[in-house]
Amino acid sequence: MNKPLFRAANYPLFCGLSDRDLCPKARYRCMRNSLLIVMLAITLIPLAITSGLNFIQYQQLLRDDSQANARWNAESARATITAYLEKLEAAITVVIDTHTFEDLSDSNRLEHIFRQLKKEHQGLVDLSVVGPDGIQSAYVGPYRLAGKDYSDSLWFHKALARRMYVSEVFTGFRNVPHFVVAASKKDPYSEQYWVLRASIDTETLDRFLALADTEALEDIFLLNDSGILQSGSRYHGEAMKNFQLTRKPKQNDILISEEMRGGSNFYRAVSRIPNTPWLLVLDQQGAEARKIWLIFKERLLLTLTLCFLVSGGVVVWLSRFLAGQFREADETRDTILSETEHSNKLASIGRLAAGVAHEINNPLAIIGEKAGLMQDLIGLDREFRHREKFLDQLASLQNAVVRARTITHRLLGFARRMETSLTLVQLNDILKEVLSFLEKDAAYRNIHVILQLQADLPVIRADHGQLQQVFLNVINNAIDAIRSDGEIHITSRRENHKTVMVAVSDTGPGIAPEILKNIFEPFFTTKGNEEKKGTGLGLSITYGLVQKMGGKIEVSSEVGVGTTFIITFPVYSEGSEGEINDRA
Amino acid sequence: MTAHRIMIVDDELDFGTTLAERLELRGFAAKAVGGAEEAMAALAAGWCPDVVLLDLMMPGVDGLATLDLIKQHDPGIQVIILTGHGSTESGIIGMQRGLFDYLMKPVDIGELIARINEAGAK
Repeated sequence: MNKPLFRAANYPLFCGLSDRDLCPKARYRCMRNSLLIVMLAITLIPLAITSGLNFIQYQQLLRDDSQANARWNAESARATITAYLEKLEAAITVVIDTHTFEDLSDSNRLEHIFRQLKKEHQGLVDLSVVGPDGIQSAYVGPYRLAGKDYSDSLWFHKALARRMYVSEVFTGFRNVPHFVVAASKKDPYSEQYWVLRASIDTETLDRFLALADTEALEDIFLLNDSGILQSGSRYHGEAMKNFQLTRKPKQNDILISEEMRGGSNFYRAVSRIPNTPWLLVLDQQGAEARKIWLIFKERLLLTLTLCFLVSGGVVVWLSRFLAGQFREADETRDTILSETEHSNKLASIGRLAAGVAHEINNPLAIIGEKAGLMQDLIGLDREFRHREKFLDQLASLQNAVVRARTITHRLLGFARRMETSLTLVQLNDILKEVLSFLEKDAAYRNIHVILQLQADLPVIRADHGQLQQVFLNVINNAIDAIRSDGEIHITSRRENHKTVMVAVSDTGPGIAPEILKNIFEPFFTTKGNEEKKGTGLGLSITYGLVQKMGGKIEVSSEVGVGTTFIITFPVYSEGSEGEINDRA
Repeated sequence: MTAHRIMIVDDELDFGTTLAERLELRGFAAKAVGGAEEAMAALAAGWCPDVVLLDLMMPGVDGLATLDLIKQHDPGIQVIILTGHGSTESGIIGMQRGLFDYLMKPVDIGELIARINEAGAK
């Protein structure tokens, strides 16, 4: 089943349109931009929505709070005025209940009572007694109002009709805005009603209303149903001026409405003051005009800007980083695929090469032997006419056979390093096997191989054949270096708890430093002038094989003393298995 | 030094006979056979070699199996593998089974004779 491998750049999500039309660089740029847009949308849209909701929610809270505050302030002001009036009404009721018309018509007595009342009730201007005929029979106060006729005054008739009456503000005979609190009583003898009246100036009302002043308060004033101001207003002028309300509350309700003035909103609370003709009007700043709202808006904007900047920065960085990672991953994947393909090709070539080499070796051997026999026979026949010429030709033929043999042996060596099979192996066993293969050659050249192998060497996980090839190459090199008469020391030991090492030292001529630094490079050879020409691949292949098995190969050499190769491998353990497999 | 008796076991008879002839020219008593059966028949008939040059890849009984048969017949016979299909692994297996040496075709006659002499001297 051919499941296509993941390739980030192939996903249309990241490129929008078909990526086939884009060059790789543009494709990843497009991916980066797409990631940027998607991530910006994912992070910033919820942030903006949350902030917007917070904004609306807080605005609503502030509105509710402002309305509640306006209501509370209105109630508070109403309660203050009501309490003042009730107290005054109670005092007047006591006075009228405990005195007769004649008692109070006595100016001295009335003055005494007035003084007592004035102590308790601020704003009280005067106190008077009005007879059933509307003529003021007694007066105590700063104005000359004694004997005035109130029979045509509205307040007098209303006071007669009720037991207690609070009037609207009016100017009256004194020409000063004031209101009266009047109580009426039936004279038991004449059975007619007379009135005790107290006047209070509007400044008293202004003072009480001023008590309600708060940070958000814009205006507070009293109004009657006809639209005449009963107290001074900050925006609508002094008492007695005209001002019409659009809506008025019924009974004791407090009516809250939102109004606009000069581009900013405010809340208006209107309530009736019980038992009076007055409406209390309170204007209070809207939520948007309040300092706390301005601070909130400022902070929200600052936080939002900061979040946008930070998120934007992180998203830009992240999209670049991710696009880079995707690109790197794709490139790594491409490289691995390419290497695998290359490796598969090499393995196929290797198998082919091995097959060809094997098949060629046999006919080559026949050619070699036939030519050799001809050389032998002609060599024996000294009378043969073209003896020298034939011998020359046959020598050329043998040289060609040797050249062909070198090629086939090289091909076999190439094929051998292609396949890998990992097993647990004991390095000492491998060394002994390889030596059994080489010791005759060594002995032939009078080279002594001295072994110092650690008995309890831990096992490693490696390819048996490749490991043999590694040591064959290294020990063969040592033999080739010594040529004849010398020593090879082979040591194996555990270096530490993680690695084992094998050292192969020879007493050869050593390697010059300038050659030593290139020794593991492919096609680098020092055997060019010798009869047995090197391919320059032996140590390169060895190096590659050791690396592939997770090991390390190092060389040190001193000219005239000898060369030492040190090969280390990781000791096999459960943990190290994955690492070696990865390399293999 | 007495000339050694050499048996060449190789399915490529052209190679075996030519090599045998060359060795005879050098004073060896040499005989070429085409496979394991012929080799074992010659041994059974009393033609007893000092050294056997044995091919590895042969139809029927292969070189390593033939090595075992020869060693079973006479452990004193030294065997040198001479093959075009060589590998390190088969060489090592052969060594473990008593092989004297392992050479790749085509081989230099001088080198071959040196190995034969070493084997014969053992």
